Amino acid sequence: MASHAHAAEHEQGHSHYPADMWVFPQSEKVAPDLVGRTVAAAPRFKMWMLIAGVLAVVGIIGFIARAATDGFDEYGPWGYYMAVFSYLFMITGAAPLVGLAFRFTKSHWRRPLSRVSELFGLLGVVNVLLFIPLLFVLPPLANPQVDHGELAVRRTLWIAGPWGAPQLWDLLGVVALAVMGLVILWLSAVPDLAGAKLAATGWRRKLYTMLACRWCGAKRQWHIQKAGLALLGGFYFMTLIFVQFLIATDYGMSLVPGWKDSIFPPLYTVISFQSSLATILIIMFILRRWGGYQEYIGVSLFWSASKILLGLTLLWTYHLWAFFITFWYGRMPVEQNILKYFLFESYGAVFAANVVFSFLLPFVSILLWNRFRKTDWGPALAGCFILVGTLAFNIRIFVGSFNAGDVYALALERVPPPVYPDLWDIFIVVGCIGLAAFVYLAAMRVFPVLSIWEVKEGALYQRMERFMKGRYLVLAKPE
Amino acid sequence: MQEGRALTPTEINRDLLRSVLEPPKWFWPVVVILTLWVLVGVTVSGIMINRGLGVTGLNRPVAWGFMITNFVFWIGISHAGVMLSAILRLAKAEWRRPATRAAEVLTIFSLMTALTMPIMHVGRPWRVLYWVFPYDFARGIWPSVRSPLVWDPSAILTYLTSSTLFVLIALVPDLAVLRDHTTGVAHRIYSVLSLGWQGNARQWKFQVIAGVLLSALILPVFVSVHSIVSWDFGMAASVKSWHSTIFAPYFVIGAVHSGVSAVVFVMILLRSMFGWQEYIRKEHIDALGRLLIVVATGWFYFLCMEIIFGLYGREADEVAVRTMQFMEYPWNVLMIIFAGITYFLPVALWLPRSFRRNLWIMSLACISVNVGMWLERYLIIVPGLARKQVFTFTWQTYMPSITELLLILSTFGLVSLLLLLFSRVFPLVPLYDIKEGEFLRAKVQVGRSTVPATIRED
Repeated sequence: MASHAHAAEHEQGHSHYPADMWVFPQSEKVAPDLVGRTVAAAPRFKMWMLIAGVLAVVGIIGFIARAATDGFDEYGPWGYYMAVFSYLFMITGAAPLVGLAFRFTKSHWRRPLSRVSELFGLLGVVNVLLFIPLLFVLPPLANPQVDHGELAVRRTLWIAGPWGAPQLWDLLGVVALAVMGLVILWLSAVPDLAGAKLAATGWRRKLYTMLACRWCGAKRQWHIQKAGLALLGGFYFMTLIFVQFLIATDYGMSLVPGWKDSIFPPLYTVISFQSSLATILIIMFILRRWGGYQEYIGVSLFWSASKILLGLTLLWTYHLWAFFITFWYGRMPVEQNILKYFLFESYGAVFAANVVFSFLLPFVSILLWNRFRKTDWGPALAGCFILVGTLAFNIRIFVGSFNAGDVYALALERVPPPVYPDLWDIFIVVGCIGLAAFVYLAAMRVFPVLSIWEVKEGALYQRMERFMKGRYLVLAKPE
Repeated sequence: MQEGRALTPTEINRDLLRSVLEPPKWFWPVVVILTLWVLVGVTVSGIMINRGLGVTGLNRPVAWGFMITNFVFWIGISHAGVMLSAILRLAKAEWRRPATRAAEVLTIFSLMTALTMPIMHVGRPWRVLYWVFPYDFARGIWPSVRSPLVWDPSAILTYLTSSTLFVLIALVPDLAVLRDHTTGVAHRIYSVLSLGWQGNARQWKFQVIAGVLLSALILPVFVSVHSIVSWDFGMAASVKSWHSTIFAPYFVIGAVHSGVSAVVFVMILLRSMFGWQEYIRKEHIDALGRLLIVVATGWFYFLCMEIIFGLYGREADEVAVRTMQFMEYPWNVLMIIFAGITYFLPVALWLPRSFRRNLWIMSLACISVNVGMWLERYLIIVPGLARKQVFTFTWQTYMPSITELLLILSTFGLVSLLLLLFSRVFPLVPLYDIKEGEFLRAKVQVGRSTVPATIRED
């Protein structure tokens, strides 16, 4: 029996671990292996990059066609463009926070996903590019021609606001997020790049040497790096919440006459966190199943992250319910019309899809059950559902808001009809998602997709020790 | 979470059962003082029942005042139990251990106290029967089940029942220890209460499963209770500043903010009163302080949303309420005090690590939060009603009477008294949880450093 038990264990450093227990791989092997994987891309990877690139081109065609057909004077035709921008902004804006937040709470299981989440910082640049056209379509705050029963200044956050409001300030917010996302990625990757430059050649070596900035792993450098990440994480979080509040209000609520809904910005933020975690879990699953990272990404990561996903899913539903019950119970005509417009009549089918994919399917079929959450595919499948639900959310909110009628009216007095996508809208939606995927895949060719120093640190902080009659994993938690 | 020396099970039993087996000298004098304090409240309530609500400052249109404010406040305090016990248990936060029992018990006593408030507010307490029975049997006018005022007692009683069950389940192993340390009548009572607990593997398994299941099941109840309390206000479309979609999460996070602050203060008191320095350590208070920074900031975000979207609509009647809150004396002064003592002062005090480890400063910050949160409810209720536009024939403000003031103050005495009496019969820090924490303590050598560690099964 003793020999069987010994055979069922695998050796790691100085400790022996049970065969079914996932632990961080031996720290000495991590760096060369992960750097090697970054430098050499599989043909399948290149094929996916090509597909994403083609989709991005389709998107550009759709954008040019939309601009040529409708111009930028009317904001209505840009509803689907706004929806897909918001969809990407939700996911990519909140994604870097996933790694930062779990690093802040010192969760060991987060180590393999830190870099996957921080790589989204690069997509901040895509967000800025996609956002620029939207600056031109937003209607002016002051009513150019006040008719009877209309507001002289439409309902907005920017009453007597600073110069350039809202476009300039919204743009500054999106740019600030992009810059901070890039700095966070760089700061987190510096130790890995310093190691990788020794193994790399050609342009990679030059780039890594430049980005590594004389990193030699001195204690002081580590202190600065960790303090910088904590500080930037705090700033990034606060800026993200603020920018999401601006986008949700300026491009959503304020375009619908009479829509006054204080829970909408938090609702937007919660679904953004939910969908970004969902996206990261899908990427982790792909890396584990098809990317050859099984040794680095254990099932325990999915098990732990899925609890957070479950919490976020319930939180989103709770916020949605709080919104619905207050409007429904209030029985005020304008609120009833808003419910009919976004929830029951015009966008009823999209709302149903939103609820089914953002809540019912992931919650009832997967996240509620331990045995599914303890797999790698369960949380990833729930993540796929959530991404569909989030797209439905953005379509019903932003296509709805962009086509709600007279923005200077006092209230939504009739329920407008839904707007269906045309060919260019479909091109734009698919293309923007393709562009984001292309940039992310390209980033994976430059930066190691797993945070080498964090995985190595994780390996140092674990030991297998005897406790009473059994052997258990001991995890260190430095203060 | 490994400051202080390692403790043996014998030491833990001796120290934590001290409040039950060898009550300190100050215990009975303090109980007498608190009882007298509560009796003042009982007397005032008797006068109010005898004379009617005319002895209060309530009027038209301000029909809800101090008593409803106090009701919401105590419901808020009750949210500490689940936050610290259920959520942190599910999250496997090691530093939760000494705080759980006090938080759970505070939940029960604050819920019980909160329930007395609407009963007194009715003026004729027996009229609470109309919540369940027809308003008039002959005419068969039943209470509206669609009213949040009917949802309220249902949610609160469910929360009270489940919280009591939660405490009882967690108490069983400790009751068995008490059974083994007592004789006579006390031994017999603890024997019955400990339900034949022997501490075998099967019993532990059931106890752990029950704890985890109850933690998960109690969470929706926890959220629903304060959401429903918020909808007492939010569903009233006629009071403009109340009809806000954010009220439910805003109230819930506010409740957690005040509840956890209250627990921190109670823990600091317990530490000094019963000499539990080895158990309620500064690192625990420090961790709770860090948690409070996050909770307070989340709450502040919701507060900002509530205010911004109150003004966003630019509706004349809502702007009138907000003008009153922010511009008119004394509401503007109260509003500044409220924002200062509920967020800016405590968060500033919680930010430096040295302050989080200073028990005086932490006490000040936590009391400050609770005074502020009480004020918050008052600032929501009274200005909204005072400037209620539709169907209002007069604008009138509200001045609480001495009767209400004494009644409100006595509720603080009541909760303190109940907590103290509980500590005389049951341990206020869970013995088995502390012992488990001690067993799971470990250390890992990383290079030249020794790093604190925990034994994990997964």
